[in-house]
Amino acid sequence: MRSIDYSIEPSVVEGKPTLAAIDDVVTRPLDTKPTTSWYVAISISGTMLLVGIISLAVTFIFGVGAWGVNQPVGWGFDIVNFVFWVGIGHAGTLISAILFLLRQRWRTGIARFAEAMTIFAVMCAGLFPLIHTGRPWLDGYLMPYPNQHSLWVNFTSPLLWDVFAVSTYFTVSLIFWYVGLIPDFATLRDRATSKIKKIIYSIFSLGWRHSNRHWQHYEMAYLILAGFATPLVLSVHTIVSFDFAVSVIPGWHTTIFPPYFVAGAVFSGFAMVQNMLILIRKIFNLKHIITLDHLEKMNKVMLTTGLMVGYAYAMEFFIAWYSGNATEQFVFLNRALGPYAWAYWIMVSCNVLIPQFFWFKKLRRSIVVMFIIGVLVNVGMWFERFVIVVTSLSRDYLPSSWGHYIPSIFDIGIFIGSFGLFFTLLLLFIKTVPVVSLSEVKAVIDGAQPTHGGRH
Amino acid sequence: MNNKTLYSVSGLFNTPNEIIHASEETVNAGYKKFDVHSPYPLHGMNQAMNLKPSKLGFITLIFGLSGAAFALAFMWWVNVIEYPLVIGGKPLFQLPAFIPVTFEVTVLSAAIFTVVGMLFVMFKFPNNSHPLHDTDYMKKVSADKYGLTIQSIDLQFDENKVTSFLKSLGASEVFSIHYDGEELRTDNKIFNPKFILFLIVTAAVVSGATYFTLNKLLFMSPFNWMVEQDRVNPQSKNEFFADGFGMREPVEGAISRGFTPYKFKGQPENAARYLINSLPMTEINLKIGKEKFEIFCSPCHGNFGKGDSRLKGQFPNPPTLHSEKVRTWSDGAIFHVITDGQNVMPSHAQQISIEERWAVVNYIRVLQSAVNAKESDLK
Amino acid sequence: MSKKPSEQNSVNSHWKSIGEYQDSSSIVEIKQNEFINGATDEFDVSELPILSRRKFLALLSASAAVTVTACTDYRDKGEIVPYTNKPEEITIGKANYYASTCNLCKQNCGILVKTREGRPIKIDGNPDHPVNKGKICNKGQANILNLYDPERLRHPIEKATNSSFIEKNWEEVDKKIIEKLKQSVSANKEIALVAHTNYSPSAKKLFDGFVKVFPNAKIYTYELFSEANKLLAWQKCYGNLNLPVIRLNEAKIILSLDSDFLATDGSVIENIRQFTQQRDIDSPNDFNRLYVIEGRMSLTGMNADYRLRLRPDFQFEFAMSLLSELVLNRGLRTNGIDSSVLSELKKYSLIDFVKKHSFDPNSINNLVGDLIANQGKSIILGGNSLSEQTHIVLNILNDVLGSSKLYDEKSSQMSFQLETSSNDINGLVQKMGKGEVGAVIFYDTNPTYHFPSLDFANQLKKVGISIGLTESKNETSELCHYVLPINNLLESWGDYQTRSGIISLQQPVISPIYKTRQKESILLTWLTGSFDEKNYHEFIRQRWEKEFYPSLKLLSDFTSFWYASLHDGIVTVTENKPQTNKLSISSDSLFTREVKQNNFYVHLVEGQNSSDGRFANNGWLQEIPHPVSKIVWDNYAAVSPKTAKEFKLEDNDVIEIESDDKKISVPCFIQAGQSDGLISIELGYGRTVCGEVGKNVGVNANALINFSDNSPIFYLPASISKTSRKYNLVTAQEHHALDDEFVKDIHRKRKIIQEGTVQQYLNDPKFIQKEKHDVFSITNEVEYNGLKWGMAIDLNKCIGCSGCVSACISENNIPVVGKEQVEKGREMHWMRIDRYYSGTLDEPIVSNQPMLCQHCDHAPCENVCPVAATNHSPDGLNQMAYNRCVGTRYCSNNCPYKVRRFNFLDFRETFEEGYYSQQPISLLNNPEVTVRSRGVMEKCTFCIQRIMEARQIAVEEGRELKGIDVMTACQVACPSLAIEFGDVNDPNSIVSMLRKHELGYHVLEEINVRPNVTYIAKLRNTHSEEV
Repeated sequence: MRSIDYSIEPSVVEGKPTLAAIDDVVTRPLDTKPTTSWYVAISISGTMLLVGIISLAVTFIFGVGAWGVNQPVGWGFDIVNFVFWVGIGHAGTLISAILFLLRQRWRTGIARFAEAMTIFAVMCAGLFPLIHTGRPWLDGYLMPYPNQHSLWVNFTSPLLWDVFAVSTYFTVSLIFWYVGLIPDFATLRDRATSKIKKIIYSIFSLGWRHSNRHWQHYEMAYLILAGFATPLVLSVHTIVSFDFAVSVIPGWHTTIFPPYFVAGAVFSGFAMVQNMLILIRKIFNLKHIITLDHLEKMNKVMLTTGLMVGYAYAMEFFIAWYSGNATEQFVFLNRALGPYAWAYWIMVSCNVLIPQFFWFKKLRRSIVVMFIIGVLVNVGMWFERFVIVVTSLSRDYLPSSWGHYIPSIFDIGIFIGSFGLFFTLLLLFIKTVPVVSLSEVKAVIDGAQPTHGGRH
Repeated sequence: MNNKTLYSVSGLFNTPNEIIHASEETVNAGYKKFDVHSPYPLHGMNQAMNLKPSKLGFITLIFGLSGAAFALAFMWWVNVIEYPLVIGGKPLFQLPAFIPVTFEVTVLSAAIFTVVGMLFVMFKFPNNSHPLHDTDYMKKVSADKYGLTIQSIDLQFDENKVTSFLKSLGASEVFSIHYDGEELRTDNKIFNPKFILFLIVTAAVVSGATYFTLNKLLFMSPFNWMVEQDRVNPQSKNEFFADGFGMREPVEGAISRGFTPYKFKGQPENAARYLINSLPMTEINLKIGKEKFEIFCSPCHGNFGKGDSRLKGQFPNPPTLHSEKVRTWSDGAIFHVITDGQNVMPSHAQQISIEERWAVVNYIRVLQSAVNAKESDLK
Repeated sequence: MSKKPSEQNSVNSHWKSIGEYQDSSSIVEIKQNEFINGATDEFDVSELPILSRRKFLALLSASAAVTVTACTDYRDKGEIVPYTNKPEEITIGKANYYASTCNLCKQNCGILVKTREGRPIKIDGNPDHPVNKGKICNKGQANILNLYDPERLRHPIEKATNSSFIEKNWEEVDKKIIEKLKQSVSANKEIALVAHTNYSPSAKKLFDGFVKVFPNAKIYTYELFSEANKLLAWQKCYGNLNLPVIRLNEAKIILSLDSDFLATDGSVIENIRQFTQQRDIDSPNDFNRLYVIEGRMSLTGMNADYRLRLRPDFQFEFAMSLLSELVLNRGLRTNGIDSSVLSELKKYSLIDFVKKHSFDPNSINNLVGDLIANQGKSIILGGNSLSEQTHIVLNILNDVLGSSKLYDEKSSQMSFQLETSSNDINGLVQKMGKGEVGAVIFYDTNPTYHFPSLDFANQLKKVGISIGLTESKNETSELCHYVLPINNLLESWGDYQTRSGIISLQQPVISPIYKTRQKESILLTWLTGSFDEKNYHEFIRQRWEKEFYPSLKLLSDFTSFWYASLHDGIVTVTENKPQTNKLSISSDSLFTREVKQNNFYVHLVEGQNSSDGRFANNGWLQEIPHPVSKIVWDNYAAVSPKTAKEFKLEDNDVIEIESDDKKISVPCFIQAGQSDGLISIELGYGRTVCGEVGKNVGVNANALINFSDNSPIFYLPASISKTSRKYNLVTAQEHHALDDEFVKDIHRKRKIIQEGTVQQYLNDPKFIQKEKHDVFSITNEVEYNGLKWGMAIDLNKCIGCSGCVSACISENNIPVVGKEQVEKGREMHWMRIDRYYSGTLDEPIVSNQPMLCQHCDHAPCENVCPVAATNHSPDGLNQMAYNRCVGTRYCSNNCPYKVRRFNFLDFRETFEEGYYSQQPISLLNNPEVTVRSRGVMEKCTFCIQRIMEARQIAVEEGRELKGIDVMTACQVACPSLAIEFGDVNDPNSIVSMLRKHELGYHVLEEINVRPNVTYIAKLRNTHSEEV
């Protein structure tokens, strides 16, 4: 047990690279031609995307009958995937916003990438509400636009809250991300050698000049955005959980859902970010910018949120028993013992048991172990949503109308497609935009800040 | 060199400490129009340049609040004023249910307007034609150097003095930065007629193309909003039947509920003998009779049944209803004529219901007695 | 021209005196010129003053024209095609109703056909008909679909040499056939006319005429399911064939021995009505008590107060034991039975029997006690499949119990059913084989399918000419030389009589939609040699005028009488009913025949929805779940749980059933309450030649029927063996193991079903209110003053026949989805009958519950719809805006009753490659109801189209709309009057009274959604207190 001196913060960028060196390292992927591995990767993800597109086409032609949904299970993979992706989309803004507010300087290495993931994940998530009706050309009805029938939307419907929440979350994340990018675009503009690149970067940099008269407002704006993004992150998954909590269906109608969902979202989000980072730092060897410490910190967060989720599972059972509501009790017993028990136990083992390995520093710092655990956590979190959506619906109040849900190949196709979309966007992202925020990293390497009068 | 107008003199420094010190000195030297450039925000620089704290927060506050207010007001208007609907037996204005949307709208408007305000109002971005752009100075400050720029418009600006001043502060390099022609142009590019024309043309082309493709090239309705119903509406065509009539004639001889077919088709004398007028001559009945008479009979028979047609000879005039013959007819006989028709007069059975027919008969009786009124009637 | 207001008034107001009337001269002046001056002049814009009204209009229209031509791609809304000459009785947009008769089964119920603009769209019962009193079974209702079946034959066809059929026109076909018939007369060969049992006096006359013209014609009439045994027994006992009409509504105790009198035996609709009449909660003391002793779980068994499982082959023994118990031990009087019978009785003892079959002795004691206590008020009914002997014993029992008091003295059943025995059919086949038959006419019959073992297929080849008269092709018509398409009953004339004194008339409601003729008129054509589409109409009319009308000695002329009869659809006359003379059984030889014992028996029963197979191609009936098993689109071998254990059977295992060297393999289904060693299979499935819908649906078990006797035997010893094959039976309602504590009795625990016994109710009328919590809502309630719609369903009366379901289907344009989709759980029925088992697997207690949209005041579906497509109307309806619905399915998820239905696919297009999207199905759809498309949520609307129609009428008549003005389709169809609909705010309406009734409850009250459908708790009339 070594004693830690908390007065000095350990450096978040290993070694002591010069500012120029950071530029070189970070922008290398942008300046160099894509490697074959990149081409392989994008062709795989592209294929997955294509599978999704075909499945979607089938759905739009024949209707959601092509899926496994039925009476009584009106929602299947569509909503499961929606909640799953929204969850993934949480880590990004959380890392960049909340950790920013908490002055966690170690975030700088991963913030940019996490934000990008957020945006792409939310895009994947947003896809599902749009298609789950099988008639996406009617999605406009969900927007309160003035029309000749003076027909408006139903502002009391959680689904409508979703529309607002998700779109707001997407917009704000995008702005947040872009604001962060402006100085880097300026840097790239000034580094650019080819004319086209220069023009493009000039456009995106909006003519940023690194002026400290701008930096001042810029930092203020960043702070405000972070301040808004934080409650927004929490609100989004809270509202997503309302989709279930507001209903009357046993197993859905639970007050614990908002915190439970948020914790779960952070949990899965961190797992996904951690996985991706491991790959990125390997491929572009950003090892000393995205350090092992960063990853370990993320694992700690995962451990915590994992425990929260576990607590939520336990509490659901307790409340079901404590409430004395027979229907409620039945639903939870049915989850653990009923026809979908297998899904339930996958969920429990992946989300509660497996992360316990993170108690051990060795495992916490072992790339391989943490990667595997990260994957398993996401599997578990996906099944959590599956359990919540499907088991509750398949056996609700009237035994006469109990049913069973079996996904069709098109369900699975669209699910794969969403991953395809996610990875494709990610791959394009790392070839076009610095995956690490230049200005922020520069600001936190040792000696980047004035020693006298420098305060924070 | 000299034909160019000077924008500023800028010096580069290598370490944060130097630049902080330099800016403090610049302030002390009384320069106002100067700026510091660094690849990332430097802590303590605001004090060093003694800048007033940012006012950005106010924009956020104002637009955040107005966003919230708008959202709530809008939802209230929609649910209470514009289109009140009973949803799940809840009151029209349900504050708790409106909070999520209100919150989201607040955040959205606040965030957007903050950033827009900063970039486009405060910074006057986008602006890629600033003299500092494309200078070695800028290239360096955006990478790893820290720069200090004193503009030529500063009151106590003098190129040489400033240059030496910067050098004295320990600047590694000092540049004189000039405007180039492009950057001096003052006219606003937005109102350039060429540009406007371009906009108009694009708009026209795009909308035209869209209309053509959607309505002519590939006119399809992915979902026809159930306009085409797989059912036969009244008076609609139906290809299934050879004659194309969606509406069918009932089978001859079949009797539908509440309908009694006319027994005396083509047998006026039987009708005259057996049909009995059971409809009393009440005011209301006569009213009906008058109405029907004037709709169906009067065009040919005239308003008083005098056989004076209103059709200006476009149709052979029928005989008067006041002839001895008709007056001596039994009610049944008149009823029969209305029901079955006579000579050129078609059957009116389908327009006038049985009761109405009797009412018309009654009315005709009244007309007859009215037109050939005797003294006794007036009493 | 301006007119003074006074004049105006003088015209509009009614004139007081002739003088006053003639004063209003200026008006007359106006009227004299229909057209004001200038109206007829040429129209020229230029001549008009600046901005005159007409110029303005002209310009306006011009500009409008321009705009219209500018955007030419608006969808064509079709053109208006009015009547060239509107029929007097039709008002466009208003329905007409025709009384007619449904002759699809031996009941010949009176029907009332709803037509719109001359097209039939719905069938209900004829309220004036004394037997079925405005109600009709779901087969009768679904017949409308047969009328519009796309695969109906559209013209006569003749078999070509290459055994393919070619189109012919009637004239040449008639010519050829008549010639052939003449030939076989001259060649002195038999002309066989194979018909179903004929209930029509006029058709009878026609047949006689046919036999006169073609002397060697022979009429064979058969029903697959006949009451032959019952009749023969009756004949032996009473010396006549007039089975009595039993007034069930006066019976206190009903003992059914394997008789499914609520579903297939006897005049079902009447039975249901009379049975449920005595289940009225307002007079709990008058409740009748139903004992059922049966082998399979039948619909009747589901509704029994006491149900005992007994294999039909033991029924004889049981009946004898019961008789001996009553006569020997309880000393009931026995007249008309001679000593030999009594001595025979000594061989039997009820106690031993009860022991042997491990019956619950209490039930039997109760039974015997009740029978003795209620002599003259109790009746014993026997199933058609019971042996003649058993029926004789039952007759004796009924006589002993004085049940004859319950026989209707006014009328008795007509006995047409013994005209042909199955021996004769056998004979016919043999004669065909020997080539003695010159011509066979299949008169809308399908013996090839009904009697596969008789080998019609081959023998028919040896017949000179074979003619099939049928609506759509079937197994028999495939083998015929000529197939003549006949009218559906909705296109036909006819008169039918099943009871003395009651004649029911049939009139067409639409002229034949194809080149078809009704079968009688075809025969008539062959008799007279010339056709005329009115010939049979005239034939009937004349028969009535000449033979029937005079006998009535009425004052009115015949025409009026005829019109009146057609109008009512029914004529009742007082015939002197043949006297039922005293029972007399002379010899004990009746009892000699021993039923040979076997471990396994297979029981072939009439199909619940398929009857004898004639409804195979009817998608509605195929998709209406079986009332007991809830299985759709299939028949199955029901086996008892014990048998299943014995053979290690599970649901969907295919088993092979062998009965004297005839073999079939059927998927098995473990039926709770089935008696051990008994396999029951419904007939009417496994059609090989019929429309796409019914082809190869289920298994044809007719092969097992035994024809050795003079009436076909449906109850046979058999041996079963398990095969390795699996089959996929699809149920509309998931089955749950009754022994699994986890899901057992959930419907009771959750108070979905609330039940008690009559005793319990009498002791404590509020017994179901005991555990009621009062629920409150946190928001203040929405006020519904004025009319508010609600429904009440009396579970005491509902027997689960699902007549309401088919009524709903036909009223609301509900699509057929097909077996695969039902398996996925996507059936579209707005109304369903939920069936719950409690108790043990062997002796289950069954509860039925019609479930439909509850139109909750706090409808959870409404809160969650993002586009407000579903919301509440001021009169308390939960309404759906189909065009607004985007299809999130959230409402359905959030519906606690799961009564919402989603168009996952465009089912009309997907079912059988769009079978029901072809013409003329569009004629079938109710023009008042939207035909929903893919991706739209739908549900019960409380028949809003009927509500709107009623409101319209009320507005026309200038009065308030009342609750009683509207009857929903299900309410109209319900034969037991279990459904009440009306205004819950009107304190005098039945609905509001039932709502307040102490037995009334809502399903899932505790979630406080405030449903508007009240259920009346079921009372079981057992001796004990608890269910």
